Amino acid sequence: MSLVELRDIKKYFDNVRAVDGIELAIEDGEFLVILGPSGCGKTTLMRMIAGLEKPTAGQIFIGGEDVTALPPRKRGVSMVFQSYALYPHMNVFNNIAFPLKAQSREKKYDKRAIRDKVENTARLLEIDMLLDRRPRQLSGGQRQRVAIGRAMVTQPALLLLDEPLSNLDAKLRANARDELKEFQRSSNITAVFVTHDQIEAMGLGDRIVVISHGKIQQVGTPQHIYDDPANEFVATFLGSPSMNILRADGFSFGFRPENFLPKTLADNPENSRIFHYYVKRVEYLGSDRLLYGYVQSHDKELTLAKVPSNVRVSLDVDSNYEFAVHNSDIKFFDKTTGKRVEQQNLRGVL
Amino acid sequence: MTSAVLNPRRYLMDDRRFVGVLFLAPALLYILLLVGLPFLLAIAFGFSDVTVGNTELNFIGFDNFAAVWGNDIFRQVFGNTVMFTLVSQVFILIFANILAIIFTQEFTGKWFARFIFILPWATPVSLAAIGWLWMLDTKYSPIDYLLLQTGFLGPNGVLSNSRNLYWLANPLLSQISVIFVQVWRMTPLATVILMAGLSSIPTDILDQAEVDGSRFMRTLLQIKLPLILPIMVIALLFSMITMFGDMTVVYVLTRGGPVDYTRIIGLYSFQIGIEGGNLAQGAAMALFAFPLLLALALLMLRVASRAEVR
Repeated sequence: MSLVELRDIKKYFDNVRAVDGIELAIEDGEFLVILGPSGCGKTTLMRMIAGLEKPTAGQIFIGGEDVTALPPRKRGVSMVFQSYALYPHMNVFNNIAFPLKAQSREKKYDKRAIRDKVENTARLLEIDMLLDRRPRQLSGGQRQRVAIGRAMVTQPALLLLDEPLSNLDAKLRANARDELKEFQRSSNITAVFVTHDQIEAMGLGDRIVVISHGKIQQVGTPQHIYDDPANEFVATFLGSPSMNILRADGFSFGFRPENFLPKTLADNPENSRIFHYYVKRVEYLGSDRLLYGYVQSHDKELTLAKVPSNVRVSLDVDSNYEFAVHNSDIKFFDKTTGKRVEQQNLRGVL
Repeated sequence: MTSAVLNPRRYLMDDRRFVGVLFLAPALLYILLLVGLPFLLAIAFGFSDVTVGNTELNFIGFDNFAAVWGNDIFRQVFGNTVMFTLVSQVFILIFANILAIIFTQEFTGKWFARFIFILPWATPVSLAAIGWLWMLDTKYSPIDYLLLQTGFLGPNGVLSNSRNLYWLANPLLSQISVIFVQVWRMTPLATVILMAGLSSIPTDILDQAEVDGSRFMRTLLQIKLPLILPIMVIALLFSMITMFGDMTVVYVLTRGGPVDYTRIIGLYSFQIGIEGGNLAQGAAMALFAFPLLLALALLMLRVASRAEVR
C-alpha cells in the first residue's frame, strides 16, 4: 500500500496556480524525487505534505489517514530545509533533541531516552564528536548531517528534503548524495526529495516526478523519464546539453546530442536517419567534444552533437558531415500540446 | 588623447581622507557640541562652586558630591529613580513582548491596531503628559468618574468612600501613576524594536520548529525569545536610559510631589540647578547617574554580544 496519497491537490495564491491538481502515490520505502524548474510548485507541494501550507482543494493521506486538516506535528513527518534551519542558539545535541522534547508529552520520552536516541543518531551520522558545538562552528557538510539527524531522530514515517544539497560545494555534493542514498536505504525510510537539479534527481530517485506549472508532467524511473519522455517539456528539461528540437509541419521532433553521431560511428546505419550537419563551432570538454551547428533545411535551429573524445574522427569547424540518429532515438511531439505522438514521416522535412 | 587619465590635477573629492572627514563631520559636530560639550561643562560645574548669581568657576573638589549624597532628599530621589526605572522596565518588557507577538501574527485590522498602539510614542512627551494630567485630575478625573458610576467609588464604594482617588496626591497612587504613564509611552518603541527582531527570525527556523512538533509556547520560549535576546537587550537599554534621564513626565504630572514621592534625579537636579540657581550642585546630582548608566550600558552590551548568534 502506498504510504502517502495525494488526491487532486490544488494550491492557489490569489490568481497564481502554484499547484494545480496533483495526483500522486508515494510507496513505502521509496526515494521519490520531485523535479522541476524554480517556481514550478514543487516546494509548495512538499510544504503541503508537511502541513505547513493548507491545500486550496484536495486531500492528503498518510498511512491511510486523511491528514489534510492536521497540523505538522500530527503527521509523523520530518523535514530538512534547504538552509538546514538549525537553531543557531542551540548546540548540536539540543538541535537533534528538539523534536524529541517537543513530542515528549505524546510519546513519553524521558531524559535518558532522549539522550540515548540523540547519541545513537549522532553516531550513525558520524557527528557524535560535535554534540557540544554550535551550528556556526560547523562546516556545510556537518550542518547538513545535523539537519538530517534532527529529522531522523524521531523515526518518522516520511522524510521530506527540500534541496538539502544545494548549499554544499560541488565536490561535497557528490559525496553527500551517495551518503544520503545509502542512509535512506539502510534506514528504510520513505524519502521525498525536492530539487531543480536533474543530475541529483537522476542519481538519487527510485522514481522521479517531473513538475511544471503546478502540474505533473511525468512520473517514472530515471531511465524511463530520460529515454521515454512524455512530452517536449520533460524531453528538454532532462539532459545536459538538452535535447535538440526541430520544428516541422504540424509536429516537432527531437533527439539527444549524445545520440547524434557521425554516420561512420552509427552501429546500425540501416535503421538510422541521416542528417547533413554543418559544424559551426567545436568545444573540447575533455571526455567529449560538443559540436554546435545546423542540420539541412533547419538553419535557424541550433543543433548540438556530443561526440566522445576517444573516437578518432576528425571534426572540423566550418565543414559539412553526415550524421546519423537511430530511428528509435528520434522522439515526436505534437506542435501545440507538446505531447509525445507516434512516429511521423520525416520525408520532405529534411 | 589620454589626458583625462594623465591629468595631474587631483580634485579635493578624490581625497579619501577629506571625504571621510566630510561625511563624518555632521555627526561629529552634533555629538561634540550638543553632547560632549555640555557633558564636560557638567563635570566642570560639578567640581566648582558656580551659581546662577556667580558664574566664576572655583575648583572645590568633591564638596558638591559629598553634599548631594549627604542630602536625605537626594537619597530618596535617587532611590525613586532606580525604582521607577526598574519597575517600569519590567512592565515595558512584558507588554512589548506580548504586543510584538500579537502584531507579528496575521489578523484583520492589523495595520490599524499597529497604528493605534504606536501613537503614544509619536505623541510629544509634554502633550501626552498633559493629557494624563487631566485623566488623573484630583477632582475631574474621568477614571474616577467611571469608577464612581460602576460603584467602586463614592458612598459604600469598594475602593473608597470618597468620590475621588486623588491619583497624583496619594503617595502610592502618584508613584503608580508616574510608572504607568512611563510604561504607556515607552512600550511602543520597545514593541517596534521587538517586532523588528521577531520578523528577522528566518521563517525556515519557525517552519522547522513546527514540523519538529513544537507548540506555540515552546516555540516562543525556546526559539523566538532566545533568538531576539540581543535585540531585547538593546530595547531595554534604550528605554532604561531614556527613563533614567527623563524629567518631563514627573515635571508635568506632579513636580515631584506629593512631598518627594515622585521626585527623580533629572527633575531634582533641574529644580536645584536651574530653578534654584545652584548650578554646581545640580550638575553634581546629574552626574551621579552617569557611572551607574555607563556600567549598565557596558554590561548589557556585553550580554548582547555574547548572545549574538548570527
